[in-house]
Amino acid sequence: MSSSDSSSSSSVDDPNPNPKPLDNQFESLNLEQESESTIIQNDDGEGQQDQESSLNGSLNVNRNNHEQDDRIDGGHVTSVLWRRTNSEVEVDGPSSPSSSGYAGERGSSGASEDDEIHEVANHGVIDGVFDSQAAWLPGKRHVDEDDASISWRKRKKHFFILSHSGKPIYSRYGDEHKLAGFSATLQAIISFVENGYMDELGDRIKLVRAGKHQVVFLVKGPIYLVCISCTEEPYESLRGQLELIYGQMILILTKAVNRCFEKNPKFDMTPLLGGTDVVFSSLIHSFSWNPATFLHAYTCLPLAYGTRQAAGAILQDVADSGVLFAILMCKHKVVSLVGAQKASLHPDDMLLLSNFIMSSESFRTSESFSPICLPRYNPVAFLYAYVHYLDVDTYLMLLTTSSDAFYHLKDCRIRIETVLLKSNVLSEVQRSMLDGGMHVEDLPGDLLPRSGSASHLGQHQQPTDSPGRFREPFVGIGGPAGLWHFIYRSIYLDQYVSSEFSAPINSPRQQKRLYRAYQKLYASMHDKGNGPHKTQFRRDENYVLLCWVTPDFELYTAFDPLADKGLAIKTCNRVCQWVKDVENEIFLLGASPFSW
Amino acid sequence: MFVGRSTGRLGGLNNSESGGVADAKNLRVKLVLLGDSGVGKSCIVLRFVRGQFDPTSKVTIGASFLSQTIALQDSTTVKFEIWDTAGQERYAALAPLYYRGAAVAVIVYDITSPETFNKAQYWVKELQKHGSADIVMALVGNKADLNEKREVPTQDGIDYAEKNGMFFIETSAKTADNINQLFELFEGEEQSVRQKLLTHWLSSKLGSCRGKVVKEHFIAPFHWRT
Ligand SMILES: Nc1nc2c(ncn2[C@@H]2O[C@H](COP(=O)(O)OP(=O)(O)OP(=O)(O)O)[C@@H](O)[C@H]2O)c(=O)[nH]1
Ligand SMILES: [Mg+2]
Repeated sequence: MSSSDSSSSSSVDDPNPNPKPLDNQFESLNLEQESESTIIQNDDGEGQQDQESSLNGSLNVNRNNHEQDDRIDGGHVTSVLWRRTNSEVEVDGPSSPSSSGYAGERGSSGASEDDEIHEVANHGVIDGVFDSQAAWLPGKRHVDEDDASISWRKRKKHFFILSHSGKPIYSRYGDEHKLAGFSATLQAIISFVENGYMDELGDRIKLVRAGKHQVVFLVKGPIYLVCISCTEEPYESLRGQLELIYGQMILILTKAVNRCFEKNPKFDMTPLLGGTDVVFSSLIHSFSWNPATFLHAYTCLPLAYGTRQAAGAILQDVADSGVLFAILMCKHKVVSLVGAQKASLHPDDMLLLSNFIMSSESFRTSESFSPICLPRYNPVAFLYAYVHYLDVDTYLMLLTTSSDAFYHLKDCRIRIETVLLKSNVLSEVQRSMLDGGMHVEDLPGDLLPRSGSASHLGQHQQPTDSPGRFREPFVGIGGPAGLWHFIYRSIYLDQYVSSEFSAPINSPRQQKRLYRAYQKLYASMHDKGNGPHKTQFRRDENYVLLCWVTPDFELYTAFDPLADKGLAIKTCNRVCQWVKDVENEIFLLGASPFSW
Repeated sequence: MFVGRSTGRLGGLNNSESGGVADAKNLRVKLVLLGDSGVGKSCIVLRFVRGQFDPTSKVTIGASFLSQTIALQDSTTVKFEIWDTAGQERYAALAPLYYRGAAVAVIVYDITSPETFNKAQYWVKELQKHGSADIVMALVGNKADLNEKREVPTQDGIDYAEKNGMFFIETSAKTADNINQLFELFEGEEQSVRQKLLTHWLSSKLGSCRGKVVKEHFIAPFHWRT
């Protein structure tokens, strides 16, 4: 999001003839409040998205006293009328659950996410994930189950890896070996599919629907991946998750594993993945809390610009001494990273690498040296990773192509650690972890550009004794205009920033539901054939969701379901301005491997 | 199976100082632990280096590096640089990277599991074939606290170690008590044993002794801190 990046980023379709720097774009985004008030009227659903897409980079506001809001789902719009008179709220038109693809997201907050399957949720586990993220324990559960167990059948989301001969390789639930029969069945289905059964469009079938269940297949040479889900996530999302699971496997074994199947089609791969259940289950868990899994972007730990620069400088130093990638992370957030000349790191590789490191407890006990493969960087070769935790959450990864570089990397680490300690980077990292990132409560209240570089993330944070983010959470309080949450993804930087969760999105379960909603938005926004500027506005019982995609960035926001549309749109502009104001602190700018 | 060999560049992880002696008073010993996954290699190392035992399984990835310096009575110090390797099959081919240049190899099995005893023998053969000729090997039967579940008789361990000129010891990383009792067995002998080990290792480094170490009963390969 550096200014040089943004100046080159005007859209082809932009009706404004002059390419605008991002700053100017932001100004032009100041809302034209009274214009085009018809835009959000939806007489019919068809073309609704296109109408909203034609807004020239501006979000427009309808100032009617009561608004008719829309749900858009594959061209069908279900209308709900919310009448807002002073503080009174009325629901004039109940929605028809069956007509909206959002049905899965919309159960009232007290109810189970799914109408049909209660057992799992009632045991405090949603979708196989414990209700509280803090309570989530790594590792496989329910190993005693097999496909004959009722509990196994009731799990809402299964993932399988199997070989083309039908041998089980991995199963999210249950013991792989007990699932041999089931794997064989899956394999038979896949073979049928693979042997040329086409749908009307001539595409190989990758998706089968059976009642509430979707079965998604991904075929990677001799390895088949399958997801069976009744979570109503879009096909694209589930497929993306299978791709990540495959990538995680490649990270551990490289594609060389295919050779085993060339020699012996009945090769049993499970021993090669020994001890990695926890890596896969942690990845699958992250599908419901880590937006990086569907945004294909990474996120940074918020830090003062100078602090991140200091970290980057010492990492650059070691990268120049023959280290391919030097990455400093705190949990799943990047502190800084550098790549040797021309080497660039894909955000998915970072996700898979950090998941591998964080889920493998042994890295925490001492410094380690291990072969790993970055599937996007080079799926057929191992790199060697030196891994060392500098404190309980912060870890350094030094990647090299040389198998005997350990002592060199150890020396590099000692140098890096010394510099990081001297320049207080590590204590700043700790502090940032405590402070958190952007809090919607701190959204600045005006659109006036703040005084130059003096703008810091911290300035907007409220003192601890004020009713800010430390207060007891209670329903309905968030940022201005009912803003509950946002995610901003910078296209050029491959980075995103997500606001901290605040009331009422408190529980992991609510957070997961919101991510699912974002994920659905993401999938629909990335549906082929739409223009570069797109907006979506959806209102349902749970939220108002407002999404805005431009060639430079994507913004996903969630508001109180009763939020005023005009104010919500205005607030989106303020969020973008805020992100712009603090981009030095929330993004890794400049010397990233992505800018080569 | 996938790691290492195919690249054809297993130089071995040697420190610039050749994994050996720093000077006469301050010895450095590069030690590698090998053995099947789950036999307790990491637990043994953590008991030795940190005096801790954590029963939660933390399967090792690649290899972990730890070091521990111990002081001998004659004011020399020995710094053990320890490679705790992963027993998982996919890392097996990586082992030469860690045992190349090692002065001591500690091969661990689980006394409750004959398969791990077989695997230990595999490692002994591998080292006899590909390790340096003067490497000092110790066979360790771990989880001695699980005696009621024992499936590898102590005598089998002793016999195998004897046949192959290795040190032998049974340990329990879990119960500090068991370790203490073991050491009480050798009190007074400990020092000389370690000296013997080091002397042997030193002399072998100097090339004057190519023979195998004579096995003694229950000899501690290194000093266990309890
Ligand atoms: N009862 C008992 N259990 C032990 C002992 N040592 C280790 N364990 C248990 O054995 C399990 C495996 O121990 P680790 O030290 O992780 O095994 P490892 O040999 O390092 O395994 P890899 O890293 O996969 O090669 C752990 O769950 C320990 O609790 C012991 O002396 N007695
Ligand atoms: Mg281990």
